[in-house]
Amino acid sequence: MATPSAIAVEEEDRCTSFEELLRSARALAATLRARGVRPGDRVALVLPKTTEAVAAVFGCLLAGAVYVPIHPRWPADRVATVVADCGARLIFEVAEGDVRLAGGQGTAPSAAPPLPERSEEDAAVILFTSGSTGRPKGVVLSHRAVAAFVRWSAAEFGIGAADRIVCPSPLGFDLSTFDLFNMALCGATCVLAPESIAWMPRFLVRYAAAKRVTAWYSVPSILSRMVRDGGMGPGSCPDLRVVLFAGEPISGSDLALLTAAVPGALCANLYGPTETNVVTFYRIPGEFDKAEPPPIGRACPFAKVLLDDATGELLAGGESLMSGYWNRPDDNARAFASRNGRVYYRTGDRVRLDGSGNLVFAGRLDRQVKRHGYRIELGEIEMAISRNPAILEVAVVAAPGQDKGVVITAFIAAASSASLSLLEVKAHCAAVLPPYMVPDRVVFLDAVPRGTRGKIDYSALEKLARE
Amino acid sequence: MDIKQEIRGYVAEHFVPGGHGLEDTTPLASGGLIDSIGMLGLISFMESRFGVEFMPRDLDAQALDNLDRIAALIDRKLAAKGS
Repeated sequence: MATPSAIAVEEEDRCTSFEELLRSARALAATLRARGVRPGDRVALVLPKTTEAVAAVFGCLLAGAVYVPIHPRWPADRVATVVADCGARLIFEVAEGDVRLAGGQGTAPSAAPPLPERSEEDAAVILFTSGSTGRPKGVVLSHRAVAAFVRWSAAEFGIGAADRIVCPSPLGFDLSTFDLFNMALCGATCVLAPESIAWMPRFLVRYAAAKRVTAWYSVPSILSRMVRDGGMGPGSCPDLRVVLFAGEPISGSDLALLTAAVPGALCANLYGPTETNVVTFYRIPGEFDKAEPPPIGRACPFAKVLLDDATGELLAGGESLMSGYWNRPDDNARAFASRNGRVYYRTGDRVRLDGSGNLVFAGRLDRQVKRHGYRIELGEIEMAISRNPAILEVAVVAAPGQDKGVVITAFIAAASSASLSLLEVKAHCAAVLPPYMVPDRVVFLDAVPRGTRGKIDYSALEKLARE
Repeated sequence: MDIKQEIRGYVAEHFVPGGHGLEDTTPLASGGLIDSIGMLGLISFMESRFGVEFMPRDLDAQALDNLDRIAALIDRKLAAKGS
């Protein structure tokens, strides 16, 4: 048990003790129950990652509810779709600077019955991720699944009460289970980085140094920018002893800069889709000096992974496996595979074994891409763009960009070439897609190229996009 | 030197090929034209070009959402520097 007066959550200019956090969470849980929230009900958190949001997470869990984090910068339409999809009973949102509760779906409140015993298999959180058919999919994670990763990470990286953890990812990223629940499990301090600086490398480096951060977990894009443009070098973050990254490959050259910037720190590449959280990891040996990205390593002890011989696809199962997608029987039928009586998630990632027995990421089997660590289904962008009636045809492709990243290009055939401008297409995208899914480039065509069977010729478009 | 024209030039070159339709009040981030990584590049450009320094409190999405507001912010920074 953590010291009650120790700091549980720290923001730029305020600290909250474990005692205070527990008190807020209990009060919120009581409010939720008084407003009719029953165990298993969903509560949407349309909140930036602040102290209030952390209290709301624990308030939901204490009430036996399932928290559903939704980024407040998503377009209102997408927020409404997700809230309706998960049937949220109540919604936490920010109104005029304050967090308030709004009604979602559901019945009138009545006297709350006593809280029944909760099982490990009960859902704890639903994380919504890009869906190829145009609607985000809700990944349901049980208490068992979340705890498997958190307990392992605490032991593997020696997290304790002296640790000060930063995880500059929104609450809706599975990465945010690391800081929140290691705080609760180990008594560590969860240091929240203001979202406005999450992509400003030099401010993040200064923040990590000023807050004496000891453990870090983010997508590689953020760390790459910190070492390349943020002035992060030897001595700039002397307290950092654990640096973890996941979500996309990190280039060998950036990793070399990183290991040089935090000599003596334990750096590890973690791998796993939202559906399984982390299932493999690779500890970076000393100073990294290879040109290619590091392997994704070997299975975590709580996970089972195997390669599908026919396709090279990685199948992942074990303790951290999701319960399924919320309310999506068709997707669930496709998502899982059974091998020797065990259930696995089909990751869609092609993976191979290297000479030393480590797994190496080798690409995707479908049209999912990672851009700045965000997972994007190109099909979802196409569906969103095609909702504009002036657009006749749309095809979206991803190609490598100059700066090692991925550039997303939307090819569009409009009803009439004079009828639609770049600005209008971009504004439409911003109105229906989260900011990270808006295409970088828009190219107008008379018609989208198709093969003999009428299917969109994506390889021709990829060639065009590279030009 | 016209600050707004220089910023417009950068934004047109990097985010709006040809600059067609790019007005002083065209929404940049909320209009889907510039994402957070793009904003990082724009801020670096303005810092080196105008000799100003951005602070975390400047990174408000609203305050940087069109050319008018960005130019006004740079004006304020230059005035504060000169005084």
